[in-house]
Amino acid sequence: MVREIITYPQQPSLEFGVNVRKFDEELFSLLDDLKDTIKENNLDGLAAFQIGNYFNVVVVKDENGDFIELVNPRIIRHSDKTVEEESTAYFPGLSAQVARYNDISVVYQDRKGNDKSLQAKGKLARVIQRKVDYTFGGNFLTKLSAEEKKRFEEKLGGKSDIAVGGVCPTTFVRDKFMLGANILTALMIVNFIVSFFVSDTLKETLWNVQLYSSFGVVGLNIAYFFYGLYEGHIYKQCTSCQVGNFIGSVAISLVKLTVIMLLSYYFM
Amino acid sequence: MARLVVLGGGVAGHTAATFAAKWLGSQHEVVVVTPNSKWNWIPSNIWVGVGQMTREDVTFELAPVYKKGGITYKQAKAVSIHPEGGENHEKSFVTIEYTGQNKAGETEEVEFDYLINATGPKLNFGATPGLGEGSQIGEHTVSVCTADHAVHASQELKKVFEKAKAGEKQKILIGTGHGMCTCQGAAFEYIFNIEHEARKAGVRDNIELKWISNEPFLGDFGMGGLHMKVGGYVVSSRLFAESLYAERDVEWIIGAHVNKVEAGKVHYELLDGSMGEEEFDFAMLIPPFAGVGLKAYDKDGNDITDTVFAPNGFMKVDADYTPKPYEEWKASDWPRTYQNPTYKNLFAAGIAFAPPHIISKPAKSPNGTVINPTPPRTGMPSGIIGKAVAHSVCDLITKGENAHLHEASMAEMGAACVASAGKGILDGQAAAMTVYPVVPDFDKYPGTGRDTDYTFGEIGLAGHWIKHILHHLFIYKAKLNPGWTMIPE
Ligand SMILES: Cc1cc2nc3c(=O)[nH]c(=O)nc-3n(C[C@H](O)[C@H](O)[C@H](O)COP(=O)(O)OP(=O)(O)OC[C@H]3O[C@@H](n4cnc5c(N)ncnc54)[C@H](O)[C@@H]3O)c2cc1C
Repeated sequence: MVREIITYPQQPSLEFGVNVRKFDEELFSLLDDLKDTIKENNLDGLAAFQIGNYFNVVVVKDENGDFIELVNPRIIRHSDKTVEEESTAYFPGLSAQVARYNDISVVYQDRKGNDKSLQAKGKLARVIQRKVDYTFGGNFLTKLSAEEKKRFEEKLGGKSDIAVGGVCPTTFVRDKFMLGANILTALMIVNFIVSFFVSDTLKETLWNVQLYSSFGVVGLNIAYFFYGLYEGHIYKQCTSCQVGNFIGSVAISLVKLTVIMLLSYYFM
Repeated sequence: MARLVVLGGGVAGHTAATFAAKWLGSQHEVVVVTPNSKWNWIPSNIWVGVGQMTREDVTFELAPVYKKGGITYKQAKAVSIHPEGGENHEKSFVTIEYTGQNKAGETEEVEFDYLINATGPKLNFGATPGLGEGSQIGEHTVSVCTADHAVHASQELKKVFEKAKAGEKQKILIGTGHGMCTCQGAAFEYIFNIEHEARKAGVRDNIELKWISNEPFLGDFGMGGLHMKVGGYVVSSRLFAESLYAERDVEWIIGAHVNKVEAGKVHYELLDGSMGEEEFDFAMLIPPFAGVGLKAYDKDGNDITDTVFAPNGFMKVDADYTPKPYEEWKASDWPRTYQNPTYKNLFAAGIAFAPPHIISKPAKSPNGTVINPTPPRTGMPSGIIGKAVAHSVCDLITKGENAHLHEASMAEMGAACVASAGKGILDGQAAAMTVYPVVPDFDKYPGTGRDTDYTFGEIGLAGHWIKHILHHLFIYKAKLNPGWTMIPE
């Protein structure tokens, strides 16, 4: 049966990459559906994930146009990485420059559960890599370089909301808040030192400056944290966009602030 | 007065003994038999292995701690278990051989009412030709499995860094030394800590880093991978791992069974049956684990090791050991009470119990070589199981033989793991991961067998801080300092 291919911006499935444990009718009909859908749409291959099924199953067409059924495939060897133009049914009509290996070895099972392996080169190797990425919850953007991803997103018209495994921007808006907090903290240190050389009345004013500056630092930290969460939502897979990092950075900033405020409190 | 003997003072044994001693008070006796004079917080050996901590930072003397805890300490290794007693003993007893306390080499027969076997793994270097002999590491590679190994590793690593500094290209190979290893997490931590140190030392450009492991995909970790929910979508630890390796410029070989190690070279077989070789200037390969080789005898002295232990040397407990194909594996195959089915006064905890099967998908090469990770039993499950077993034994002693046993199934237990990827107060990194449950329950969570709401991972500086805090927290706890019982396993 020809099935509907899930296309952007719809998310394929919440679960993915579930190993096939039973080689039964359910699997056979899935394999047949994949083949029918490939034929109907004249594709190179499909992962079960692309038709909304969570099993770790891929069907591809080899050099002669014959189908290869890959159940529980794993790529265990790779070499010869190159960047080439690719397209996928998930983003109809679009293509991008993707870095992949030209030579791979895949182990998998056939529909009867027999262990098999396959050496694939060139186009077939690339198709298998793309499909296997799908079975692990990835997508076309997973393997794009930072620049290519940006270009691709522009083609998509706006930010894509599926930055799974994607590459991160090098600068973030949230960092401006942290920079502000750091500059303010540095000024507070200067203020603290200056306070030793001024009259008592001026000292009092400086203490007030110190106090308001500390509120400023706290405020900037709060802004940093929440903007960070927002950015983390946009760039889902960026390792630098993890909540843990924000907590760490805020903690460091607040420790510095506490030390300065304690010193200021006792000496200013 | 009843006597509980705990074999092994590692994570599981130490937890079991200290809690049992606390719960039983002075009315009953708790004996610990363990061959080392020092306790080692094993996870921090990684930092010893890159020269960021010393042996003293990760170990402490056991004797004063056991004295404080009211525990009888015998620095010895267990040799054989006699659950039915013997010629000179009405009661069950265990034969031990001293390794210290000025009695090295002497043997003793220690009677017990209950026994907890928490002897952990034998580091089975001998399984791979060239990796070592028996439990002794060979000369070609290093290890971080014990504090002493880690000190040696850091000295060797230093030499490699010096050569790299002098402009010589160096190749470092890290991973597993056999097709049936577990503990990929430790190797993962080590390779990224080396990468971090190499960058700090300014020698990264002259160092090539390569990962070799028996995992079927990067990020499997012996658990079939983690399925992580990120902003509403589920992605695999494979994609996380692949982007991390690529980001840090670490190449990888997976699905590999290292079958021979020579000076500067490993030979391996891949899951597709092909053979390969890889050269190295420095290699840390985790050995496979086996049971420590305890024997068991009945009352008449007949060998009953096969009854008490599985063929791999781990102790049989209340698991379902019937051989079954992958599609029939069930969460209920996994043990709940860790009681030996034949001798009800024997228990096992931590790595010492025999698991019913592996957790990852089983895999073999066309040549018939098994290449799949064996089940990890990390610190947290080991500690939880140790505590549950101690609880059961205490109830059996104080409430009688029919007391209800406490349960801690790895199919109902989550595990949190913080894997370091570099040490530094400001630039450290660690991946924090939680899985629930450790052993997938395919009936309860159709699909991956895990609850994706409680299975996630993150990498960052905060993770490093947590890891560092845990180092101090667990050593504090193991030393039985005030409030130790409140610190979780
Ligand atoms: C390098 C490394 C890093 C790790 N990092 C982590 C981590 O970050 N997080 C995590 O959760 N887990 C980690 N682990 C795993 C963790 O260390 C183990 O899960 C845990 O130690 C298992 O506890 P255990 O009590 O079963 O065994 P062990 O802690 O190994 O204890 C076994 C004890 O038995 C003793 N013994 C051996 N033979 C005998 C005998 N014949 N008689 C009496 N006693 C004997 C041993 O001397 C030892 O004291 C790591 C492991 C390694 C090797």
